Amino acid sequence: MKKILRDTCILSALTILSVFAVSILWMGVTDEIRLVLELFGLSFIISVVNYLLDEFVSLPIIGSYILRYFAVTGIVMLFGFIAGWFYRSNFWMAFIYVGIVFVLAYLLDAVKIKRDVDFINRKIKERA
Amino acid sequence: MKIEKRQVDGKPLTVIVEYPEWNRSVDDLVKKIGRMDMSFVAKNDDGSIKISILDIYYIENVERKLFVYTKGDCFRLDGSMNDIESRAFDLGLVRISRTCIMNIEHLKEIRQIRNSHLEAVMDNDEKLIVSRKYLGDIKKAFKREGV
Repeated sequence: MKKILRDTCILSALTILSVFAVSILWMGVTDEIRLVLELFGLSFIISVVNYLLDEFVSLPIIGSYILRYFAVTGIVMLFGFIAGWFYRSNFWMAFIYVGIVFVLAYLLDAVKIKRDVDFINRKIKERA
Repeated sequence: MKIEKRQVDGKPLTVIVEYPEWNRSVDDLVKKIGRMDMSFVAKNDDGSIKISILDIYYIENVERKLFVYTKGDCFRLDGSMNDIESRAFDLGLVRISRTCIMNIEHLKEIRQIRNSHLEAVMDNDEKLIVSRKYLGDIKKAFKREGV
């Protein structure tokens, strides 16, 4: 199921990029296309930051999520201001958007870690 | 599986594996036998020493220097983490953090400290910090071992 969901997301992203690439040739960059390209750009920056945090920062799990939350919120706010997504009065919306994603990611991650740890410990017991 | 043993004078220890077809079990068996023979040349104050991969508990990178830890000793090792990882990934040496490669043969347990780090407890009760990022690699190593 996980593989199907992941493949669906990758296929959707590729489809969107292909369709928009053709649309850009026909109509130029419209507001909708610009928004989607900005979201791809933002996702790329966040992925790079996540990779660097994984590689160079060693914190407890909860600390790591708090650091990521503030780092990603900061990036979203900065990117949002540059792209014109937020007004000065509603910049706090970034905390909510990112927060919702992070709560879901944290819960999924916690379940996955527990499953992996249980699997490894079971294999060690079988080996003994 | 049939096991035959015979003494042959004047020849090095030789293991011959006969199989009807190459499959995962044969592959695992050959890897396990290969693991018994693989070793690293490490150094300490007394000079160079050959350390069998079976005796290695973990390898740590401290300020760009590699140290290999056995049950009770520590030796200096030449090379890089990436070299060692690529040479020995199939043989049970798995990266568990940016600076540490662990031998899963000596792993006793993985512990999850609530909302904190993951910890690998070795069979000599030494504890190593495991980065969440590499937990999947440890799992893959156990899957590949087919234990």
